[in-house]
Amino acid sequence: MTPPSTTAEGNPAPARISLRQSADPRYVLADRVEQLYSQMPTAVIATLVISVVAAYELRQGRYAEIVIFWGVLVLMLTFARAGLYWSYRRTRDKVGEAAQWLRWLGISALAAGATWGFAGAVFFPSHADEQQVFLAFLLAVLVGGGIPIYAVSWPVYALYAGGILFPFTYVLATFGNKLFVEIALIVPAFYLLNVGIAYRLNRVFNSGYRLRHAYGKLTEDYTALNQRLEQQLIELEEARRQVEASGRKLALFAERSPIAVFEFDPEGRILNMNPAAETLFGFSSREMLGRAGTETLFPSDASGDIAERWRQLIRSREPIFGLRLNNTRRDGAEITCEWSLTPLVNTESRVISVIVQGRDITQQLEAERMKQEFTSTLSHELRTPLTSIIGSLQLINSGVLGDIDKDVLELTTIAERNGQRLLDLINDILDVEKIESGKLTLFPETLLLGELLDESLALNRGFADRFKVRLATAGEPQAVTVSADRKRLLQIMTNLLSNAAKFSPEGSTVTVNMDIVDGCVRVGVNDNGPGIPESFRNRIFGRFAQADMSYTRQKGGTGLGLAICKRLIEMMGGKIGFSDRDSGGTTFWFELPKL
Amino acid sequence: MPAQPLNRICYVEDDEDIQRIVRMSLEKVGKMTVEVVGDPMVAIDRMIAFKPELVMLDWMMPGMDGPALYRKMLETDAVKALPVVFITAKASSRELDELRKLGAAGTISKPFSPRDLPEQLRAIWHALP
Repeated sequence: MTPPSTTAEGNPAPARISLRQSADPRYVLADRVEQLYSQMPTAVIATLVISVVAAYELRQGRYAEIVIFWGVLVLMLTFARAGLYWSYRRTRDKVGEAAQWLRWLGISALAAGATWGFAGAVFFPSHADEQQVFLAFLLAVLVGGGIPIYAVSWPVYALYAGGILFPFTYVLATFGNKLFVEIALIVPAFYLLNVGIAYRLNRVFNSGYRLRHAYGKLTEDYTALNQRLEQQLIELEEARRQVEASGRKLALFAERSPIAVFEFDPEGRILNMNPAAETLFGFSSREMLGRAGTETLFPSDASGDIAERWRQLIRSREPIFGLRLNNTRRDGAEITCEWSLTPLVNTESRVISVIVQGRDITQQLEAERMKQEFTSTLSHELRTPLTSIIGSLQLINSGVLGDIDKDVLELTTIAERNGQRLLDLINDILDVEKIESGKLTLFPETLLLGELLDESLALNRGFADRFKVRLATAGEPQAVTVSADRKRLLQIMTNLLSNAAKFSPEGSTVTVNMDIVDGCVRVGVNDNGPGIPESFRNRIFGRFAQADMSYTRQKGGTGLGLAICKRLIEMMGGKIGFSDRDSGGTTFWFELPKL
Repeated sequence: MPAQPLNRICYVEDDEDIQRIVRMSLEKVGKMTVEVVGDPMVAIDRMIAFKPELVMLDWMMPGMDGPALYRKMLETDAVKALPVVFITAKASSRELDELRKLGAAGTISKPFSPRDLPEQLRAIWHALP
């Protein structure tokens, strides 16, 4: 089929339809066979009637018994044809088996023709002149009458008429009468003429059936198209309803949103703004529509810069998130807002408008600044007096100022220890704050891990002594280097060692060992403590985590240590964990990549 | 490494309590000679008079903070070669790094232990080129 083309005016060109292609030949054949069979009852009844008339006319000849024989033959054939008709009517697959039914019909037509041919050949010579005329007339009528019956398939007709005429022609030619020989010469011409007519009719029928089928198919296609169109129309309507609903939803979002929402055209003029935007800037949307937002909403000295940024946004068509800008309100007050800009781009990659959402973060920034200031103040203002307190107590307790009374020493020792505890807490809180605000910077250097571990043991011996716990290295020392922040790694070791010492029984030894595991070095701190309670295991590295509040009071500590250790080790590219020891107690370990 | 042991130290610090503790620590524990200066504005003059072997500067001081004083020392010929140790309670790692690049000998963070302070200073002293 010619693909549908479009003319210059945009109207679809009339489609050229080929009948041969639109009509399925199988169906055309089936229709023809159907037509042939539908005429069968007429043909059979007509044959029977004519046979009876013929038999009556011919009864007086010399061969009455042959006439009876012929009558019986006609009767049998009539039954056979009725049976064929009946079988055809009962068949289901009239389309698939059409060719087969046509063949059967051809055979039956040939048989019907031959029956008459037999009558002509046998009765013509044996009867008187007037009966011969009757017979010849009868055969001519049968040949002519067969045309409307069989013309739907000319070969069937050719078989039928051939069956009638060939025996008759033979008898005429061999009769020994000159006139009959001349008629015998005309009969084939008459036969060919009739077959020719049947052939022409056959073609007319064929094109008629094809036309009918093509039309049927067109109607079918048209109906299907109509149904599809209808379906699409329904879907389109549904889509329209959805778009409308989401449009309403969006409008509602913008309407009720606490965030200021603007829609700008590509030139930076305000097309739309929500109530939050009105509240934030103090302008009503009526007075703002159509005004250049880049000028109205920003401090005058920044408008050039803002206009340039805007042009960049329109050029790049890329959304911008978290843009912090200083804005001015109607009353002249300056605020800081965080903006998200989303250009809406059409299918031709042109920016139609820009959705701009903003939030006043002035107070948030102020709060952040105050928090930083507070942290800084906490750091300095708490540490400075603590330096004096702890320093004084240390000088007294060290004995450099002379001997002091035992009770006084006990109290000043308590004061020093608790001063230290307060300091640890402050340091831990500051560390957590620094880690969480992302302000903690590490200074990694290449370290001999063994040396660092020895140093950490030396630093913490004094603390362990208080719990009457010994600190020692275990296993073979290994020359392993790692990249780590020395001060922070010492902090981690101090945490693990002091925890181990705190929770180990008096007189026991806390050991530190080093193993190489898959390109990493694993440092274990092994204690002989009571182990980690089940309920505490999954939050041991959380903040303010301690197994039991009574322990906290008894053993001291902020509960922040392990949380800090975990973050620090992770920042150095390692990991931290713990496991139960077979001999009782716990191993806290950390791993760092080996250099 | 300097040939002679560390003995004369000048300490610039505005907090009188800490002044006293550091003086006691260095004199009683460390057996050193200490000159404490409370006003950073006169610190350089006092250094020139005292001739210390090492200078300790507090980071936060009113009028002129430790780093500013250090930069001023670097502009003064008589004292620019002196090793300087900062005592600090809050400096960020970045600032400390910067000072180390300028040539500061070391830093000691607050609160320090007066018991260990002389040893810490001696360790820095021994580490000097």
